[in-house]
Amino acid sequence: MINFEEELKKFHPSLEVEDAEDAIYNQDMTDMADLLVKMIKESEEKANEVS
Amino acid sequence: MFCYSCGCQLSEYDFCTGCGADVALYKKIMCVSNLYYNEGLERASVRDLSGAIVSLRQSLKFNKNNVEARNLLGLVYFEMGEAVSALREWVISKNMRPEKNIADDYIDKVQSNATRLDSINQTIKKYNQALIYCHQDSRDLAVIQLKKVLSMNPRFVHAHLLLALLYIDSERWERAERELRKCIDIDRNNTRALRYLREVELMLAPEENVKQPAKKKRDEAVRYRSDNEIIIQPLNVKEPKKNGVSTLVNIGIGLAIGMAAMYFLVMPAAQSNAKNAAQDIIARISGESDAKTVQIQELEAKIASLQGEYDSLQQELDGYTGESGTLQTINSLLRVATTYLDNPEDIMVTAADLETIEKNVVLEDTSQEFQALYQKLLGSIGPQLSETYYTEGQEAYRMGDYAAAIESLERAVYYDAENGDGWFYLGQAYRQNEENDKAVAAFDQVIERFPETDRARRAQREKEAIAAEN
Repeated sequence: MINFEEELKKFHPSLEVEDAEDAIYNQDMTDMADLLVKMIKESEEKANEVS
Repeated sequence: MFCYSCGCQLSEYDFCTGCGADVALYKKIMCVSNLYYNEGLERASVRDLSGAIVSLRQSLKFNKNNVEARNLLGLVYFEMGEAVSALREWVISKNMRPEKNIADDYIDKVQSNATRLDSINQTIKKYNQALIYCHQDSRDLAVIQLKKVLSMNPRFVHAHLLLALLYIDSERWERAERELRKCIDIDRNNTRALRYLREVELMLAPEENVKQPAKKKRDEAVRYRSDNEIIIQPLNVKEPKKNGVSTLVNIGIGLAIGMAAMYFLVMPAAQSNAKNAAQDIIARISGESDAKTVQIQELEAKIASLQGEYDSLQQELDGYTGESGTLQTINSLLRVATTYLDNPEDIMVTAADLETIEKNVVLEDTSQEFQALYQKLLGSIGPQLSETYYTEGQEAYRMGDYAAAIESLERAVYYDAENGDGWFYLGQAYRQNEENDKAVAAFDQVIERFPETDRARRAQREKEAIAAEN
């Protein structure tokens, strides 16, 4: 049986035009490629420190 | 595909031919991103929009620069009625690839029609308002709002879903089913819509199950074999009797049954429809009334606030322009200054005017400039005036009129607090007038202001004499 209150919690306010700018600026843009490049750089720095 | 390190075009090798960086894992990430993009495209092409959103988001998690995936994600959002989310994706996409980007066209198409954009924004605002109504338990108002939203933006999937949920909550199963079907027409594989629909179908199914046995009953018949033929004799069918009276009776019964059916089946349905329509109108009017009431309350609050501000400003203005206002006071002081400058010898008039000002005004509340001018005038005439009052007081004291002497001597020390004889004679006058406390206070002033003087010693002796008398 559907519980109205529980289902209602799954609905969230939709993005309004006024909020679009904030939404664009605050979007987390980090992707897997960024993480990979960061990890490679860190490992290279560690290797340089050891040598 | 370009090298993350030097930006050189990558070849089929697992290293960059430009800088030698190991790009095996990087290439795999790019491939996974493309894989998810393909999956998203496939899902979008069969109208599995919510599934497409999941795939395309995954694709962007692997490669945020996958412009095609981002553009498609925007398109899917737009198709689901979420224009602002779509614009967000397209703007980011355009930012990543400013030239030769289809997102540019999409943005232009949306933004070129300001009315359409405003209408979209209105629908989103109304949807958010409906959501607030739901949380406030004003479900009728929420239904009205959502109907408006869907009349303006029929592709808004979340609005369909919320409206269906409200119908389910109020057990209007047919309407809920209609909304969910519309929702599924837009987004074929919307999990939430499918879940709601299953629930709605379960609630609608019992009615169908009830009807089926009735059909079976009607179909029931007696079958028997006679020689090689199967004879089917339906039940509840009677051979018509060839009797005119019975035919008339049957017609009468038929009419009666028809009217009864009309009365019991059709009329309640019509009444129910009329009632529903009336309730809808009442709910709409109630919604409008609530909105107007809120508007009126806001305006009343605004009026009260403005009235308060007006009263405060009026009071402030009165403070400046009233009879005892700042402007009047300043004018009075300026008049006193003019009088004094015109006739510096006639200090009694100046003194009287200064006393009037002092009575009417709290000096501490006036401006520094006002106080400075007042003190300057007082300082200019003070010692001379003090001497005049002192002479008057001394004369009255000699004549034995101690009350008059006190009055004059008080003024003498007011205009010049350093008038030592004034303080001493004031003390004496008080003592003669049998006001010993005030006399002691006046002698104390002499002792404090002129210590180690003959006058102070005399004052001390007077104090001791008063103490001895008591």
